[in-house]
Parts: sequence; structure tokens; C-alpha cells
Amino acid sequence: MIEGFWLWLSFGLLSATTLLTRGSFIMAGEKGRLPAVLQRALRYAPAAALAALVAPDLLLVQGEIQPLNPRLVAGIAVALVALRTRKPWLPFVLGMAVLIGLRKGLGW
Amino acid sequence: MNPAFRLGAREGLRIFLPFSVSTLPWAIVTGLAMRSTGLTELESMGMSVLVFAATAQLGALPLIASGAPLWLIFLTGLMLNLRFVIFSASIAPVFHGRPWAQRLASGYLLTDTGFTLLSPRLLGAQDPHWRWGYYLAPAIYGWLLWQTGVLCGVFGADWLPRDWSLEFMATIALLVMLVPMARARPMLLAALAGGVSAVLLRGLPLRLGLFAGIAIGIATGFAAEHWQERKEEK
Repeated sequence: MIEGFWLWLSFGLLSATTLLTRGSFIMAGEKGRLPAVLQRALRYAPAAALAALVAPDLLLVQGEIQPLNPRLVAGIAVALVALRTRKPWLPFVLGMAVLIGLRKGLGW
Repeated sequence: MNPAFRLGAREGLRIFLPFSVSTLPWAIVTGLAMRSTGLTELESMGMSVLVFAATAQLGALPLIASGAPLWLIFLTGLMLNLRFVIFSASIAPVFHGRPWAQRLASGYLLTDTGFTLLSPRLLGAQDPHWRWGYYLAPAIYGWLLWQTGVLCGVFGADWLPRDWSLEFMATIALLVMLVPMARARPMLLAALAGGVSAVLLRGLPLRLGLFAGIAIGIATGFAAEHWQERKEEK
């Protein structure tokens, strides 16, 4: 866990990523334009980054690949519900229910 | 106050208001996720005000929890925020001629919802006063609503039991954002490649596997798009 000064420094750096990206062309005014190729490639950045963050969380148990574990089962449930409904709460409630159910109910 | 500004403000708010319903739950979950990672109330609110970007915040939380190096946190935040470069490029003409402090504020307040809802009429409008009201009023309203929701989550977290693995909320939130993106085939391939490489390369030092995963995901999505276009041309 990052704490104290370093934690606030990390917030500052994250804040900079917000201002740099959102502000980029608004601040540049009439000078700036983004090359079309780059613009197309960058569209894939959020999906790639989200998946790269989520996959280890769902597949790894203490650093080892564990193809069947409560988090993965809960994650699959979340993905299926999120595909079918736009209700914002449902995936959260269902995902937590599956995870807690498997851990406490079945002692998994 | 300029009448055109006021008119713009009223029309902008009218477009934005119905979407309060989808903003609030997100904000509450983000607040909960920060607390369950181990941040204090003050740290959580500080992060929320400074960063004001849910995806980047939620993505950074596991890295903060595991004590990852700061440059990796920065790069991950940058990747998760990169879509805003595209939004910024497309909405920039609306703010031409505004003083730099106003442009900086407009950038800070530029969210996914704001961009999607407001940019179509903004880009067609001519009157700079109307445009400024139409953007600024809902943007500030959205900011206040967001921070209120986060505050509820941050203080609500104490009421929930500790042994519920609530940190999993952050993972769920990231998944819920990912699923609608991955409907298009190249985007799905980008996500699969990014996820699989991040898992396989987890042994790399300094958590470089995450970064490599993102880069491989972008390259895969881009290549898949080209390949798909070539096939359609035939």
C-alpha cells in the first residue's frame, strides 16, 4: 500500500493525466490536430488497459493461474449481466452476491 | 449575466439532468472502492477532486494497494484517460478564443457523459455566450453531483461489513465499463490480447507486464481493424 506523501504524489500524477488528456487540444487552441492513424490506434487503449487490469484479478490466485476460482465465477456473472441489462446496480449486487455466496456459503 | 449564456445554461442542464440517475451509482461505487482499498475519507475525497476520472481512479487503486512504482501508476492513468485526447480534439473548436484559465477548467470538467451529450449541439452552435453556458452549467452540475455521490460512498463504506471483500467492487466496475466496449470485434480482440498478455507476462519486473499487455492490446485491435477492412473491400 502506498501511503502519506507518496500517495498524494500519485494523486497529483493521476490528476496530471486527467488535465493532459482532457486539456490537450482544448489548450492547444487552433494549432493542434491529431494524426488520423494515431487517433484510430488510441481508440483501443481503454479496452486494452481495462482488460489488462481485470484479467490478472480474475485469473490469478496468489500469483498462480487458477482457472476455477470464486472471483472468476463472479466476474463471468457480472459480464453476462452487463451484456444483457443497462441497470447500473445489477452487476454490482449480483457480482458481490456470487462472490460472497461462494466464499461463505460453500466455503470456497 | 448574458441572456444567451443563461439560455444555453438552461438548455444544457435540461439535456444533462436525466443522466443524473446513471451518474450517482457510479460515484457511490467509486467512493466505496477507494475506502475498501484502504484510503482514508480525506484521501478518498482528495483523490476524487484532484483526479476526477473514475476509470483512471479505479484502475490505479489495485496499483496503489500493491505498492506499484509511481511511473506505472502515471502510465496506467494516462492509458485509461487517453480517450479524452480524442474528445478534446473534437470539442476544442468550441473553446477557441476563451482565456486559458477557462479552457483549463473546461478540460478538467470534460467527462464521457458531458462529451457524449453536449458536443453534438455545441459543435453546431455559433453564439459563443450560448455555447459557454450550454457547456459550463451542466459540467459544473455534473461535477457537484459526482462529488456528492462519491462522498456518500466514502462515508457509507463504514456501514458495510469488513469481511465482504468489497475491494472486488472496483474489479466489477472495471468489468462493467469494459463489456459494452468489447461488443465490436476488433475491440474485443484488443481486450482479449491485453488481458491474456497481462496474465502471461505477470512475471516481468516492475509490473511491466501490465504495460506490455496494454501495448499488445492496442496493437492487436489496430491490426484486427485493418484486417477486417481489407476483408470487407474484397
